[in-house]
Amino acid sequence: MMHQTILSGTPTALTSRDAHLRLDGLTKRYGDTEAVAALNLDVPKGELVALLGPSGCGKTTTLRMIAGLITPSGGRIVVGRSDITQMPVYRRDMGLVFQSYALFPHMTVARNVAFGLEMRGVSKPEIEQRVREALAMVRLEPLAERRPRELSGGQQQRVALARALVIRPSILLLDEPLSNLDAKLRDEMRNEIRDIQQNLGITAVFVTHDQVEALSMCDKVVVMKGGKLEQVGTPVDVYEHPATPFVASFVGRTNRLEAMGKGDGTAIAGGAVLRIPSRAQGPVEIMMRPHRVRLTDSDGASASGGEGTNRLDGRLSRVTFVGDLLQYHVDVSGTELVVEAASDHGRVFRAVGAPVSLMWRVEDTMVFGRTA
Amino acid sequence: METNPTSLPMKILVFLLFLFLLAPVILVVPISFSGEQILSFPPQSWSLRWYTALAGNSAIISAFWTSLLLGAIVTVLSLAAAIPAAYVIVRMRTMGSGFLYNLFTAPLLLPTIVLGLAILIVFASAGFLGSFWGLVIGHLVITLPYALRVLATTLGNLPLACEEAASTLGGRPLTVFRRVTLPMMAPGIVAATALCFLVSFDEVVITLFLTGPRLTTLPVELFHHVESRADPLVASVSVLLILLTLAVVMVVDRTVGLSKTFVK
Ligand SMILES: Nc1ncnc2c1ncn2[C@@H]1O[C@H](COP(=O)(O)OP(=O)(O)OP(=O)(O)O)[C@@H](O)[C@H]1O
Ligand SMILES: [Mg+2]
Repeated sequence: MMHQTILSGTPTALTSRDAHLRLDGLTKRYGDTEAVAALNLDVPKGELVALLGPSGCGKTTTLRMIAGLITPSGGRIVVGRSDITQMPVYRRDMGLVFQSYALFPHMTVARNVAFGLEMRGVSKPEIEQRVREALAMVRLEPLAERRPRELSGGQQQRVALARALVIRPSILLLDEPLSNLDAKLRDEMRNEIRDIQQNLGITAVFVTHDQVEALSMCDKVVVMKGGKLEQVGTPVDVYEHPATPFVASFVGRTNRLEAMGKGDGTAIAGGAVLRIPSRAQGPVEIMMRPHRVRLTDSDGASASGGEGTNRLDGRLSRVTFVGDLLQYHVDVSGTELVVEAASDHGRVFRAVGAPVSLMWRVEDTMVFGRTA
Repeated sequence: METNPTSLPMKILVFLLFLFLLAPVILVVPISFSGEQILSFPPQSWSLRWYTALAGNSAIISAFWTSLLLGAIVTVLSLAAAIPAAYVIVRMRTMGSGFLYNLFTAPLLLPTIVLGLAILIVFASAGFLGSFWGLVIGHLVITLPYALRVLATTLGNLPLACEEAASTLGGRPLTVFRRVTLPMMAPGIVAATALCFLVSFDEVVITLFLTGPRLTTLPVELFHHVESRADPLVASVSVLLILLTLAVVMVVDRTVGLSKTFVK
């Protein structure tokens, strides 16, 4: 693999350093609004952590505070054993890939990538060697002598990546570095970034609002909302055991159902009694993943399910074909629920308007206390 | 640039507009080759006598060199002051940077005659009248605001992210400025250079107050010349200046591109 050539270069002190990143009550206020509110986060050395959240939730602000580009209103940033909150940007030794690429327009691609090495006083021949390797890694060798404005968005993004990686930073910060690539290239770059990060043991924070990206390539996922942490956990954790309704609906698709908990492990919803893995009492929110729900004919004997199964009856209102999946939209007494099933050449077996039943296992039922 | 097909009436209109704008410039060319004693159009006879006369006119030639040197020094000093000033005002954004910007560009709004009188009063008591460095300071008052305005606008339009990227890559503030900010400001710097030089080279009002019998600039010398004699000598000077301007414009166009420098 190409990145292995990167590894063969002279080892630097940078990566061997203890690059354990810790955010301690990190806060950024703009006027009255808190863009980032008392964020606590621990990123062990060599881990890739995703900051996942909707637009405007403070991801970029957090990343820029870590890089030293904006001064926090409060809290501390600690790397290893040293507090770097007040350390100037240029001494932090972090690679940052900007959301807007921020390539130097007056320099060629090769000079862009060489910049960080020149700042570090690396010798000319070594710079040349490492720039070539970095460009090979992002598959841009043939474009080394072009100017940034002569590149496509995706190509510029890869130059930005090469420029940040070539300095072998102890901490790598990526602000949606793959947002402008096509699906195939994005997949490749994901694996490439992950390989490099793991091989060099770089501690990395990866900002994205693409949940697939966060789940598939990161050790840990941090879900943010309105400047606050919603949940921190492994991808499986966050997907299977979302801490809040927001996390459940932001990470992966969900069905949402309002219900009344009875306090005995059951709840009433859509005119039926549902078993829930909780003794919640009062108004609750019930969620389940569309692909964990099965669709059956409502009158069939098989529809009874059994002990460990929940069942709701409704009417099929719409069927959507999305390639590998069919999405059945079912109207259950006014609430629309979605069932996903593997598509067999797009064949639909039920007519729109037909009465159907939804069935899912009790353990696939997520329950949240309802706020408001 | 793509050329759009333009309709005929539009072409004629544009041609007439250009003719109107360029008429004075076009007129001086035939007048400069006049064989007459006084300014008239069209000339009755043709000759090169006014170019010969110009070559022998030491007052105008020495005034030209004074203007050239003055323009060059004023331009260099303007840029040397305006580049750091623009950086501090636009990038550092300390308290009152907006106020400072307005203060420094205020002379653009004042009538030049008022400035000239004020400078005259100050210089008269300081003994700066009729001195070269007095002229330099006087011209700086006019050119600095232009330079600051052009450079601040240029810098304000540059994405901050490039400089930020350079600093995350390990560039210290001064290195970032030299390697990233300054090269990215190049079009603005070229524009400011051309503007400062032309403004200084062309300046009459303030200069009239500050020049003396032994020290004068080209525009002031021409002004005095026309006052006493209305001969076509000024036309031949004008033609030479037009050629000089064309040469500068072409150099700028070849190096950075005109539209990139002045448009936007
Ligand atoms: N300079 C600023 N002044 C005032 N408010 C700001 C400033 N920068 C950011 N904000 C606000 O802070 C919040 C967080 O912004 P941030 O750029 O961190 O969002 P983000 O999570 O990166 O979003 P996106 O996914 O769209 O990039 C936003 O509400 C934004 O309006
Ligand atoms: Mg952002």
